[in-house]
Amino acid sequence: MNIIETRGLKKNYALGTTTVHALRGIDLAIEKGDFLSIVGPSGSGKTTLLNIIGCIDFATEGSVRVGDLEITSLSDRQITDIRLHKIGFIFQTFNLIPVLNALENVEFPLLLMKDHSRVDVKKKSEQLLDAVGLADYMKHKPAELSGGQRQRVAIARALVTNPDIILADEPTANLDSVTGASILDSMREMNKREHTTFIFSTHDANVLKYASHVIKIKDGLITKE
Amino acid sequence: MNLIVKIAWRNIMRHRGKSLIIGAILFVGAFIMTMGNGVMSGMDAGLNRTVVNSFTGDIVLVSDKQENDNVFVEFMGKAVAPIYNYVDIKKALDSLPYVERALPEGKNMAMVLNEEGGAPGNANLLGVDIGRYRKMFPGSVTVVEGRMLEPGDQGALVPVYAQKEFEAYTNIWFMPESTVLDSARLPKEVKPDYAALIPKTNAVLMGFNEDNSTTDIRLGIKGIIKYRALNSLWGQFVVIDIESYRRCLGYFAASDKVDVPASEQKLFSLADENLDAMFTQDSLMTSARGAHTVRAAAAKPAAIRTAAPPRVDVDAGAYNLVCVLLKKGQSAPDCIGKLNKLSKERKLGFRAVSWKKAMGAVGSMATIIKGALFVFVMFLFFVAIIIIVNTLSMAAIERTTEIGMMRAVGAKKGFISVMFLAETAMLAFVFGGAGIVAGIIGVNVFAVFNITSTNDMIQLLFGGDTFHPLLTAADIMVSIGQLAIVTLIAVIYPTRVARSITPLDAVTRD
Ligand SMILES: Nc1ncnc2c1ncn2[C@@H]1O[C@H](COP(=O)(O)OP(=O)(O)OP(=O)(O)O)[C@@H](O)[C@H]1O
Ligand SMILES: [Mg+2]
Repeated sequence: MNIIETRGLKKNYALGTTTVHALRGIDLAIEKGDFLSIVGPSGSGKTTLLNIIGCIDFATEGSVRVGDLEITSLSDRQITDIRLHKIGFIFQTFNLIPVLNALENVEFPLLLMKDHSRVDVKKKSEQLLDAVGLADYMKHKPAELSGGQRQRVAIARALVTNPDIILADEPTANLDSVTGASILDSMREMNKREHTTFIFSTHDANVLKYASHVIKIKDGLITKE
Repeated sequence: MNLIVKIAWRNIMRHRGKSLIIGAILFVGAFIMTMGNGVMSGMDAGLNRTVVNSFTGDIVLVSDKQENDNVFVEFMGKAVAPIYNYVDIKKALDSLPYVERALPEGKNMAMVLNEEGGAPGNANLLGVDIGRYRKMFPGSVTVVEGRMLEPGDQGALVPVYAQKEFEAYTNIWFMPESTVLDSARLPKEVKPDYAALIPKTNAVLMGFNEDNSTTDIRLGIKGIIKYRALNSLWGQFVVIDIESYRRCLGYFAASDKVDVPASEQKLFSLADENLDAMFTQDSLMTSARGAHTVRAAAAKPAAIRTAAPPRVDVDAGAYNLVCVLLKKGQSAPDCIGKLNKLSKERKLGFRAVSWKKAMGAVGSMATIIKGALFVFVMFLFFVAIIIIVNTLSMAAIERTTEIGMMRAVGAKKGFISVMFLAETAMLAFVFGGAGIVAGIIGVNVFAVFNITSTNDMIQLLFGGDTFHPLLTAADIMVSIGQLAIVTLIAVIYPTRVARSITPLDAVTRD
């Protein structure tokens, strides 16, 4: 079964008197365990699409199904629960809570779930930070980490709740190629080990070779799958 | 919860500037609020000490024929209506569980005649059974010169204030009986007038009777007294024995009711014949001006007294009001209601009024001062809330990406609310708490300084002549409650701002 399905997804932004058609009818079916890349030029609608799939934005038209839930019909509370339990999000920037250190940032969603013991939370978070190579940086605050390190903390945090889907909007855009590659490596590894579905956007051709599928998007429409 | 407290605490430390602004507002607000509570509480306690427990009681019963509730400080006013049935009222009061004790009093204006031919002065007369008066209001007056009025005495106690007033207007200097003018013992401001002083050891008081006639009585001055506080107010009240008071006002005196044994009946005729002779005695009464009539009836018992003092129920005569002190913890408004109901049911002919109403403008002044203090504290509340709301809302907007991110990761709106509340609550606890502690210290420091004032208005604010702010455990609880309310109100709007931040706000912001 497809873990995500969109049908006739449209997103309009009213900009003064004109309307920007960011998405103009996206039909998408993503399989569980996929490592999918969305590529396209700037302004093509990648971020918009990811935000809608990730339940942090809403479509103007069309439907989105995540797992077995039709998200257009849910309340804010239910949607928040989906974000907490089913989805991990890695933003391009502004990823972490500034007052919490790396370990605490990873622990955060697990603590929100309230169904793990304190010891479990700590153990799980430490394991994941270790897996992304940050064992020595657990007590560092975001401001004391490099961009790549922060991004890896964000990945660990996205993984810690064992979500079904992880969405990453240009996870490597702000990083040098070496760091970018190592981050994609850790993502790929998680994908293999946990069968977590990864969807990430990029306009970097080098990144594409990691993907198992690639969707090309232009002017709010899928041009090639 | 632990997580929220941790985040809240670190946010406070991270945004120290804002935290300090809010903290300072909370500190100052809590400090002034606590001080205000202390002043109000001190005023209440002071008024209780200097008014309720020294002069009026909690409740004053007046005749239901009395038009104006204000029976004490209506200087220009009409006569206070008499109460003739105190015997019945007393019986009723004695059976009431909420009444601690009661004192009937005669209270009216009288002229103080100037035998030297100058303008007369006037005084408020307080006619009391002195034994009961001292039991009712223990320690409310102290003798400065001479002696206290004793039970059975006929005489007057003149307050220092009235003594000086008479001197200023008439040059008459009232002194206790059997004292002589001694310049060394005169107050500083009176000394320069020494040569012109007319020393007097008795006063001729002219009372206005109900039938528009007047009665003069001459009363020996037993002592010069001082009230516990508010001397410029109470100092106008000359205390005299109730029987002399009744004669002065032309009331039916208690002794008029005495059943005279048959064996003594003949003394009446003797008294009648010797009426003129008796008027020459200056100890009892005199018709200083021929125009004023003296009720013959009033003279008769005096004649009897010289022969054989009869047993007199002093309550059989007339009074003007009854001061009622309530048991501790009783609500005055409730008791006023109960007393008025009782009066109606049993046709006791009285009306119960609060001491503040009985004190007229002075009583309302106390209420107004308290109200002004309250409004001031409320205003402070308001300003504090506005500043905190503003600062917190700005903080919420500044943290949009952070909050939106928390929401994106799965934090519910409730989590954001509690986080904001926790932050403000911690600031309130630390800074507001410090403000309350500072307020408590401030109140106690002020109390130690013994700030005094002779100004009537300020004395009302002080509740006496000394500023004695006071904080009871209950007042401190009130301050804590006020602080909690301010915090809660101030956090509502910023919390709404923070709750409305969506994950998208975090993403679309660069
Ligand atoms: N909040 C908004 N208001 C108005 N228009 C918007 C808004 N967000 C996006 N758009 C428009 O929608 C279109 C798609 O934007 P989107 O951010 O999805 O592009 P993108 O593919 O992520 O581009 P990039 O590679 O530069 O990140 C653009 O034309 C953009 O201008
Ligand atoms: Mg984008």
